[in-house]
Amino acid sequence: MEPKSPPSRQDSAQEGFGSRLSRLRRRFRGTLVWYSFLLPPLLLILTFIGYPTLQTFRQSFFTRGMGTAESFAGLDHYGRLLTNTVFWGALGNTVLLGVAFLGIVIPLAAALASLLNRVKRGSAPLKVIYFLPQLTSSVAVALMFNYIFQPDWGLLNGGLRAAGVTETPLWLADPRLSFTGSRAAATLLAVWAGLGYFIIVILAGLQSIPRDIYDAAALDGANGMQTWWHITLPSLRPTFIFLIMTGTVDALARFGDLWTLGGPGGAPARSLQSVVMFMFQQGFESGDVSLAAAAAVVFFAIVLAVTAVAFWGFLGREFRAVR
Amino acid sequence: MTDIVQSAKTTATRPARRWRLPQDWPSQFLSMAVLALGAAIMLLPFIWMLTTSLSRKANQSMPRIPSFWPTDPSLFNYQVAAGSLPIGQYYLNSLIVVGLTTVGYLFFSAIAGYAFAKGRFPGKTALFIVFLSTLFIPFETRMIPLYHQMASLGLTNTYWALILPFLAGGFGTFLMRQAISSIPDELIEAARIDGASEFRIFIQIVAPLCAPTLATLAILNIIWRWNDVLWPLLITSDRNLYTVTQGLALAGRASGIKVGVALATAVMAILPVIVAYLFLQRFVIRSVVSSGVKG
Repeated sequence: MEPKSPPSRQDSAQEGFGSRLSRLRRRFRGTLVWYSFLLPPLLLILTFIGYPTLQTFRQSFFTRGMGTAESFAGLDHYGRLLTNTVFWGALGNTVLLGVAFLGIVIPLAAALASLLNRVKRGSAPLKVIYFLPQLTSSVAVALMFNYIFQPDWGLLNGGLRAAGVTETPLWLADPRLSFTGSRAAATLLAVWAGLGYFIIVILAGLQSIPRDIYDAAALDGANGMQTWWHITLPSLRPTFIFLIMTGTVDALARFGDLWTLGGPGGAPARSLQSVVMFMFQQGFESGDVSLAAAAAVVFFAIVLAVTAVAFWGFLGREFRAVR
Repeated sequence: MTDIVQSAKTTATRPARRWRLPQDWPSQFLSMAVLALGAAIMLLPFIWMLTTSLSRKANQSMPRIPSFWPTDPSLFNYQVAAGSLPIGQYYLNSLIVVGLTTVGYLFFSAIAGYAFAKGRFPGKTALFIVFLSTLFIPFETRMIPLYHQMASLGLTNTYWALILPFLAGGFGTFLMRQAISSIPDELIEAARIDGASEFRIFIQIVAPLCAPTLATLAILNIIWRWNDVLWPLLITSDRNLYTVTQGLALAGRASGIKVGVALATAVMAILPVIVAYLFLQRFVIRSVVSSGVKG
């Protein structure tokens, strides 16, 4: 910038109109620099986020012919999607796996976080261990658990056998909807992988509750259970809502581990196919881009609805309280 | 974090006295026992994977009761895995892709964050809304057109396809704007009076002052990009461009792969990340929690 400053100083040395012009120019340059900062990231966002997102919407309303010709299809693809049993199966799996995961992981993590918050020493290495799977890619986790759930020699059934269970379940090889089937196995895997994150977030919530509330409750003669129910749980409300919101969005977008376990079809018998895997399979293996695009729009709408409901319906109260 | 600091303080200020059982020792002991049991369950799969990967026999027959100690320790599976997969190339690819996306993401997030935090120009709010709105668009909604876009640009099976879509985003911009807003205006004004250009102020004053936030963003981006498998699976079919995670996913799904070899591959794929995590654990955990975003 050094070489540029002498001429501008000369400009301002001139009188009257010239100096006004240079001031204007300087002010213009003052805003120009901000636009130049924003232009490269803005272009990247418009090109690689904005444009393909609009394309998804467009593709869901058009049919691509063999050549370059495209024809408007209206809501045809949405009609095909909503009568497609594979799509409903995938959506059902995604919702079921998400609800089961959150229903197990949140109470479990809350219990373990409360214990971690109580112990006076040794909590640091425990936190590191619980968090460890979070750093392991979902692919590696799935690969590992594919063998852990192996019916004949896997770790889980081996443990069950050592404990005296004779009729060991088939886990991932059993596509039925049961507590020992493939969906249960995929849920256990997700709980193992995700537990540490939920523990750490709830622990942070627990530690942000002011001490003096507890002191006041103790003065009033509240016992441990009453304190937990009337102080700890209500104070954690925003934490739980946040975890349910982000957990739901993550569960809806689940892909890597299920793909590693069962391929894009979600084997066995599509019992592990998620919505994203359905999009993947339709868009790339069957080449039905329009159907995949319609599924992507529906997926987008669900994610947006979950976020909006959580945000305005539940978290809104907290934000108003802060203001 | 605070409890560690607090306990350190109390032990430091407390007069030296003989260690005694805490008054609530039964409940302390019980809590610890439950937590230790849970931690053991968390670690078991890792230990089993390591043991099995070190066992040559694991490829032919597995014990019906699992063992946690290799009866015939050998690196055979690792040699086979390294011989059949170009795992070194996978590492190089992951390092290139993760490195370049992280550098780019930090730079574009910080510079946009600076403009939104300290700049005064028409259209600021509207532009900020454009940046923020990307937060609500999951990657999965745009992956198929993005694939066709890359194909029409002739970028399939190039590093560019793995890098370009992840260089800028609303999350990083938002995080950096928050951090830069807390830098006092006087500091920037003083540099401006000294004749420093905005870019120089950005590089020499703003960026160093928000180094902790930049580090947080770097850690998050490294975790996301290293573990991503969906996009590489779509856009890359050339074996020489596979990332570590993608290579592992495809090797794991390959028919006829042996248990020991597959687990050895998995160990090789996750070990560097876990070692890095063990060194940086406190910082990594804080980054993930403070941003409230999961990997």
